[in-house]
Amino acid sequence: MRALVVAPSRKLVARWISHEAGEEAGLLQALGITSTEALFTDVPKKARIGRIGIAAGLEEPEVVAQIDKILDRNRPLGKFSSFLGGRISSRYVPAAVDSILQRSEFYTSYTPYQPEASQGMLRTLFEFQSLWVELTGLDAANASLYDGATAAGEAMLLCRRLHEGRRFLVPASLPWEEKSVLRNYAVGPGLTVEEIPFDPRTGNLDLAFVRSAIASHDVFGLLADVPNGFGHLDEGLWELKSILGDVPYVVSADPLSLTVLDPPGGYGADVVVGEGQGFGIAPSYGGPLLGLFACRKEHLRMMPGRIVGATVDAEGAPAYSLTLQTREQHIRRSRATSNICTNQSLMAVAFVVYASVVGPRGLAELQVSLAEKARTLASALGGIEGIQAPRFEAPYLGEFTIELKHASAETYLERLRRRKILGGIPLADPRPGPAGGPVRLLVAATDSTTDKDIQKYARAARAAAAGGAA
Amino acid sequence: MTFRQARWDEPAVWDLTAIPPPEPAPPVSGLPEKMRRKERVRWPELSELQVLRHYTRLSQMNFGIETSPYALGSCTMKYNPRLSEVLARRKGAADLHPNQPESTVQGALEILWRLERLLAKVTGLPEISLQPGAGAHGEYAALLMVRAYFQDRGEIAQRTEVLLPDTAHGTNPASAAMAGFTTREIASKDGCVDLAALKAAVSGKTACFMLTNPNTAGLFESQILEIAETVHSAGGMLYYDGANLNAILGITHPGRMGFDVAHLNLHKTFATPHGGGGPGAGVLAAGDALGPYLPIPRIVKTGRKFRLDYDRPKSIGKIKSSYGNFGLDLRAYAFAISHGEEGLQHVARRAVLNSNYLGARLGKFLPRPFRPLVKHEFLLSGTPLKAHGVRTLDLAKRLLDEGVHAPTIYFPAIVDEALMIELPETESKRDLDEYAAAFERAVSDTPEHLHAAPQHLAVKRVDEVRAAREPTLSWKDLRARTPNHEKAAAVSSPP
Repeated sequence: MRALVVAPSRKLVARWISHEAGEEAGLLQALGITSTEALFTDVPKKARIGRIGIAAGLEEPEVVAQIDKILDRNRPLGKFSSFLGGRISSRYVPAAVDSILQRSEFYTSYTPYQPEASQGMLRTLFEFQSLWVELTGLDAANASLYDGATAAGEAMLLCRRLHEGRRFLVPASLPWEEKSVLRNYAVGPGLTVEEIPFDPRTGNLDLAFVRSAIASHDVFGLLADVPNGFGHLDEGLWELKSILGDVPYVVSADPLSLTVLDPPGGYGADVVVGEGQGFGIAPSYGGPLLGLFACRKEHLRMMPGRIVGATVDAEGAPAYSLTLQTREQHIRRSRATSNICTNQSLMAVAFVVYASVVGPRGLAELQVSLAEKARTLASALGGIEGIQAPRFEAPYLGEFTIELKHASAETYLERLRRRKILGGIPLADPRPGPAGGPVRLLVAATDSTTDKDIQKYARAARAAAAGGAA
Repeated sequence: MTFRQARWDEPAVWDLTAIPPPEPAPPVSGLPEKMRRKERVRWPELSELQVLRHYTRLSQMNFGIETSPYALGSCTMKYNPRLSEVLARRKGAADLHPNQPESTVQGALEILWRLERLLAKVTGLPEISLQPGAGAHGEYAALLMVRAYFQDRGEIAQRTEVLLPDTAHGTNPASAAMAGFTTREIASKDGCVDLAALKAAVSGKTACFMLTNPNTAGLFESQILEIAETVHSAGGMLYYDGANLNAILGITHPGRMGFDVAHLNLHKTFATPHGGGGPGAGVLAAGDALGPYLPIPRIVKTGRKFRLDYDRPKSIGKIKSSYGNFGLDLRAYAFAISHGEEGLQHVARRAVLNSNYLGARLGKFLPRPFRPLVKHEFLLSGTPLKAHGVRTLDLAKRLLDEGVHAPTIYFPAIVDEALMIELPETESKRDLDEYAAAFERAVSDTPEHLHAAPQHLAVKRVDEVRAAREPTLSWKDLRARTPNHEKAAAVSSPP
């Protein structure tokens, strides 16, 4: 039998768990037992394990040393001229943003079920919701979802609650990860995610395809993204509502782009989702991210996720609380609008603090500057043998697609990596499948991209784009 | 000691300064006019200090673990080590793009791989994915895996039902419904699964039984091996909701108990911060039958090299755009290796000791509906207070006035006026004693005071009914509700 369990002798764990002299003895004594073993008599012997089978604990300096040693095997973005973008940004985050995130009242609290004890988080989330409403031109936002892709999945399910049909249309150019996530959100209700072909010259949606699909009366919704998976802007998005009629229209939008682009609420979007990581959140190898979600007022009660609302307290003073909770899993269980419980609240704090620090002018200027750099980059790469840049004839902001004529994506990127350049994101689905097809890469300008970086990329790309092995 | 929360008359961020007059967004060359934003985003231009002061003041009107014991049952609100916060901000962790070549992120892949191997030991299930965003997301992914498994066996047309106890977390039935299953609740007996009822319910229609163990009544399901046998003999899968894993670290694990698949919440057991509602980090752990269906990619180690493997033909595909929440996985890894074998065992034993101690103390004030031997949390029933016109909600609000966070209330639904209390291993005996003293003051206060609580927080009792009746969800709503002549002035006050 195990003796009285005292804190292991390692100092670090002892710091994390209170260990006043006689403390555990006092707890045991109050229960009239001599060992914690007496508290596990309800676990049948046959179900017991002797030990977990992991190494002994470490002290803080040892933990730091081990983890730093492993992290040293990473080559962070700062070591490269990086042209990686897509839904994830490596934008600089002002130090003030992280200092707010490190307020323990924010990062160690949980869902504000008790509004009186949580006005700080509730008010901050209310400001976050307000900002996403301002950016999108819609009426109501929730307090966050996991990421842009799952927000798109939830938007699809909302569409199905609004409209009959089995088919959900998405651009064929949508990133493969998002298509895969959408297909997983479609499995339960037995829906089909169908790809809209694109015009091979512009990359724009084939609107004739959309028209004929809508005529089938089996489409319950459509999602289009801005910028699209190629990084380009599709003018067809401004015409889609007239084609869709009462079929719900979802736009997946990059929040920074909305500082210079016409908001989707104005051209007929019923739902606007997005990936919010670029506003104040480090890329951290892809997580945590921030799922953004807004919809029209009339669909409010079918929205997924937590929502913060303004109200008053018992004395009539302004106060805030979670609201419309009867949509949610903890109340409605199997009839909830979503299963989501834990969301990305702290990342929503980062989003609104970042936007407030940078300001509306700063954000728009940032987007303009990225667009200018991307144009410089496109013209630098455009004349190179073996590269078509940009591949598509459509407007773009901070990124665009290039197509390689001779080199494989792997060869091209590896040759560039040796020159300390991260040259772009391959657009192909990495799962095994039929080989062949065009070699396309998404290439982005970032806020740290300089003219020198662009010249360096263009020089290296000349050799990298040639045929042959790396 | 009397608690007083900060009470700043802080305006909304948009009322801190005049909003710049409307003007078009700056032009972008090559952008067609119709795509251009006609009015710049309406948001204030503030100095950094103005922003910092605003959000610092707001934060001071919020409880957190570093200000108060946070007794929310089933949420495992333990100390979030500051060490993890420092490590997650290292350049080598934070400044990594998920689309970097594998050769440049070997360290990140190694952290994830090491955490996976460690969690395989903790769960007793060999195949791990860190992809899901949080617990409920893990549930959903696992149920899709169960679906795909029965699809492959040609049984999906029959196996349409997910069974769960009436004490299940709300996410369980919600996830099952999203995954296209019908749900059926099994009535509990004395707070645990009624084995006879389960035996009567399982059939060729059963796809899965979802169970939390210890359950939401804080009780260990001692008949777990019989439960597993019952579900398996009907051809169903047994699902482990890992929300309450903290109580059994090193004592037992889902694999030994007979579970086929599990989700864990790293933000509970492994101390990653709850972030005011998130982010969490969900983990999927699967046995041999369901392992091949885990989301892609999987992390594979070959020699000293790590890579992402997409060649998993049975995989359900992606459930989230990136692999998972790396920043949180790193924090959880730091927590796990700091504790190590003895430390994690101690975590469970101390958490259960705390819970039984506090349960015994608070049981003097309100009835405990089930047996006294509990695991990580315990239930009380506020029923006796009803005779004085006092509800569990009033008691919860009165507790806030003591400077401690209220328990989870009105859950599980099988207990009238339920309070669900969990103060995990990082709370000291002194904190538990102070919580008990605060609870005693609260429960023995007058009905008038209980109804009027809270008095010492930034706001008085919040009118949640009004919030739902007249949804005011944004600045845009506030503007719409404010008469024109007031629009020039502050508009932060709701109607």
